[in-house]
Amino acid sequence: MNCEMDLKAYVVGEVTPQEKGLVENHVRGCQSCREELDRLNLTRSALASLEDQEIPRRIAFVSDRVFEPRWWQTMWRSGPVMGFAAAALLAAAILVHGFLVHSSLVHGWEARPAAVDAAQIEKQVESRINARVLAAVNEAQARQSAEFTKVLNATESRYETQRHADLATVQQAAEYYEKQMGRFVVASNEGPAQ
Amino acid sequence: MIFREVEDRDLIAKARRGHVEAYNVLVSRWEKRVFNYLLRLVGQREDALDLSQDVFLKAYQNLKKLDDPAKFPGWLFRIAHNEAYSLLRKNRPEGEMTVEPRMAEASGGLFPIESTLAVRSALERLSDDHREAVLLKVYQGFKFEEMAEILSCPVSTVKSRLYTALDLLKQTLAPVNTGGTE
Repeated sequence: MNCEMDLKAYVVGEVTPQEKGLVENHVRGCQSCREELDRLNLTRSALASLEDQEIPRRIAFVSDRVFEPRWWQTMWRSGPVMGFAAAALLAAAILVHGFLVHSSLVHGWEARPAAVDAAQIEKQVESRINARVLAAVNEAQARQSAEFTKVLNATESRYETQRHADLATVQQAAEYYEKQMGRFVVASNEGPAQ
Repeated sequence: MIFREVEDRDLIAKARRGHVEAYNVLVSRWEKRVFNYLLRLVGQREDALDLSQDVFLKAYQNLKKLDDPAKFPGWLFRIAHNEAYSLLRKNRPEGEMTVEPRMAEASGGLFPIESTLAVRSALERLSDDHREAVLLKVYQGFKFEEMAEILSCPVSTVKSRLYTALDLLKQTLAPVNTGGTE
């Protein structure tokens, strides 16, 4: 059989209506394809004669509470319930907003002074903060200046003490050399020992 | 048919939310088909029953992974295919194939072909792959593309397996009358 007809696809129903027509037209005039198709149909019919068997034991699963979802999991997974809850929440938010807007319109004097108060309070707080910062800066500068003066006085005092001590030492050294010089002059005037 | 598909989808959605009873209804619709597919594939009733239970248990555990409920049949048979081949590999290690021990010489004398025994024997003589292609196509009515997904292979491979199987079955169930040509 040299024909290119896909007879098996035809037999198992995997052809388009157009391909089906082509096959049926072809087998009318081609004896070998017709015989082949008959054998395939016979095979298909034989296979179809094999009946399904009944399952010997029905398969069923029992519910286990341990694995069952909690009520809130069930609700969370339920689209309609969550949708309803979201809609209710939105409606409540709209109601609250409407109520607030209405009361502010009716009692407009209450809302406006509140805005003024806020600005004034903000200004006062700012001025207090500035005053505190200035005082802190001044205090720090004064403390720093006092410490500097104290250190300077201490340094000067130490320097003066050290200078007096040095002068005394120098004076003692000068007196010592003067005495030595005097002895030397006396000795030289007396002449060598006989 | 469309109404039935919608119902299955609804049952799957309920089972996903933890409704075991909805899943049991789904099982009752598919258990006979799955059992017969497995029975013809593995050959033993007890094995087929055990596998069927495993298949539906795994399907329940993995139901949330099923992207499209409309693809439930193919998805279910893919699980069944995997379970069956695990057993076949265990029972028949090292790629041992089914061979034709009983009916090979008797193929010319099997008429009438309506004999259930003849058909069953002819199917048993096929290799696992060839037999499965026939089971999915002829008995379960899957399309080539669906079979390719179930078997995890290209459509060309599916067609090749099915056509070879049909040729082999044809030799047994519809032999040429001239004789001596098989």
